[in-house]
Amino acid sequence: MAQLLDEIEWGQAILPRVSDSAWEAEVKRRVGQVSEVDRRVAASTWVREVCVLMISYRPVAMPQRLFNIGALVTAQENSCRYCYGANRAYMKILGYSEAFIRRIEQDATFAELDDKERAFISFCRSLARSRPRPMKADYEALVALGFAPLAVSEMAMLIALGCYYNRIGILIACPPELAFERVANGFLGRLVAPLMRMVMSMHKPPQPPTLDAATLTTGPFGTVVAALAGLPGAAIFRTALDGAFASAVLPRSVKALMFAVVARTLGCRTSEIEARKLLAAEDFSNDEIDSALLTLRSPHLSQRDARLIPWVRNTVYYQTAMVQQQTATLATEIGDAATLEAIGVAALANATVRLAMLLE
Amino acid sequence: MRDPTVFWLLAAMLALIAVLGAVALVLRHRARQLQRLLQVSQEKLEHLQRQFEHFVPADVVEQLTGGHGIFAPQRRAATMLFADLRGFTAMCDRLDPAVAVDILNEYFRRMNAVITCHHGHINELVGDGLLALFGALEHNPWQGRDAVLAALEMRAELARYNEELRAKSLPELRFGIGIHGGEVVAGVMGAGAALNKFTVTGDPINVASRVEGLTSVHKVDLLITEEVRSTLDDQFRLRRMPAIQVKGKLEPIVTYYVEDISSLGSSASPTQGAFESHVDKVT
Repeated sequence: MAQLLDEIEWGQAILPRVSDSAWEAEVKRRVGQVSEVDRRVAASTWVREVCVLMISYRPVAMPQRLFNIGALVTAQENSCRYCYGANRAYMKILGYSEAFIRRIEQDATFAELDDKERAFISFCRSLARSRPRPMKADYEALVALGFAPLAVSEMAMLIALGCYYNRIGILIACPPELAFERVANGFLGRLVAPLMRMVMSMHKPPQPPTLDAATLTTGPFGTVVAALAGLPGAAIFRTALDGAFASAVLPRSVKALMFAVVARTLGCRTSEIEARKLLAAEDFSNDEIDSALLTLRSPHLSQRDARLIPWVRNTVYYQTAMVQQQTATLATEIGDAATLEAIGVAALANATVRLAMLLE
Repeated sequence: MRDPTVFWLLAAMLALIAVLGAVALVLRHRARQLQRLLQVSQEKLEHLQRQFEHFVPADVVEQLTGGHGIFAPQRRAATMLFADLRGFTAMCDRLDPAVAVDILNEYFRRMNAVITCHHGHINELVGDGLLALFGALEHNPWQGRDAVLAALEMRAELARYNEELRAKSLPELRFGIGIHGGEVVAGVMGAGAALNKFTVTGDPINVASRVEGLTSVHKVDLLITEEVRSTLDDQFRLRRMPAIQVKGKLEPIVTYYVEDISSLGSSASPTQGAFESHVDKVT
């Protein structure tokens, strides 16, 4: 069962704040404010860009209400103290009552929700948890309930991107936005909430373009991203995957192997095939890939990179405090730059594979 | 207005409104009471569910509490690790019972931390023995490797614990570990609702138990079967032991003594540092 906010064990921040005034000014312009996550991932151009794109995304095919509830439930299910607290506070500002939020968190059957909304929440929990892994049938069940296929795709994308952002928050052990939480939960929050809602409704963050299927298919995990055709959010995935595999901080081969390990952990054949294609392009033979996936080792990898393969599987199913300790240990061994890159790749692999599971 | 009928009609209407208002107030009060009751019940249920998770795996709890209240038995590939303390019963006869229980509890706490760090969970404690499962709850393609890495760290952790016991002039502990993998049936089993629990059953469990017993025969602390060996690479230093006939098996069982791993503490065991800090925290 998912933990409540005050039950989540949360460690000391693993990565430091990075001062980049130009980037912070841009984030402010695009989103309106700079978050703690933005400051701690600022050293990686692709990780920080995906975080901002995700935060500023507005749904086009699913109701905003479900979008808000979905973000909360996904953060809770992933036990991300940072995101869970921030989403909870944000919902308070949006006008949701404490009682309503509490019922959503407790998965209470008497919450003021209809059957479709309950099915959506159940889908959020199931996909975020992936224990057991969901399948195409779960996607089709939502469509059968009356949701439009594009809306269900957007829901799946929201949860997958939530899994990305939540893992970034967890793996860097980002300090929660306590000041924002205090304001939103206090008397002052109730007082200024209408004003904040008005300001938020006036601020229209730039949205990504809607890319065609051909563009989405080009690049790593193209078949997975193409499933999101018709949604502007698909561009976030395309940007993320292209950015991750173009980055030179870690070799392409180790990143592809990390994706393959996450795919194997979740039992997703589609993702493993895509990861194998990338590894083959890096001169891995089939036997070498099989061996690497069997033993979580490969002679192709440097000593530093070899540490990432067993570590990445711990980012799929985890206890928050334990995976933060493991990541802190990793950071002392491989340094901040490689750790941030590894965290970004692990988070993206978890997001991409979750999306791919719904295709099979 | 002087017509008494109109007067009585108005009076009756006012009385009716007053009664309806009173009923509405009472109903509202009751609804609030019920809502509070539901909230309290929900919180109690949630508390119980969390407590329940200490005894039964979380996803089994989810399935049991989410709808049908049943956990359909399933065949699963799992790896079983049996660990048994050697001579602890005799030790108990010499020690103050409270001290013996403290020693045992601390041992279990430490072993539990190691096993959890390696994607396993303790399914059963029987006396001074434990059964840990790998891959029984979720798909785990590396369950054999996880179980052996856990066993190696259990060995290292026991050595650390023995140092502490020695420093307190308390007797040291020794254990035997047997590991075997195979297909088992996982489900909620027992003699009625009060005694039911999530567990696994099948021949591989018996084999794992027998292999643990063979550690006394071979005078080693950690044995694995051929099925587990086939999941390991050359990083693990193994020594083949003579095949021995065991109860319930037609063919003698070939086992391997796990000496060590070539790079424990580096890439093979990324959890080492985290594990040590986890044990510190738990203890």
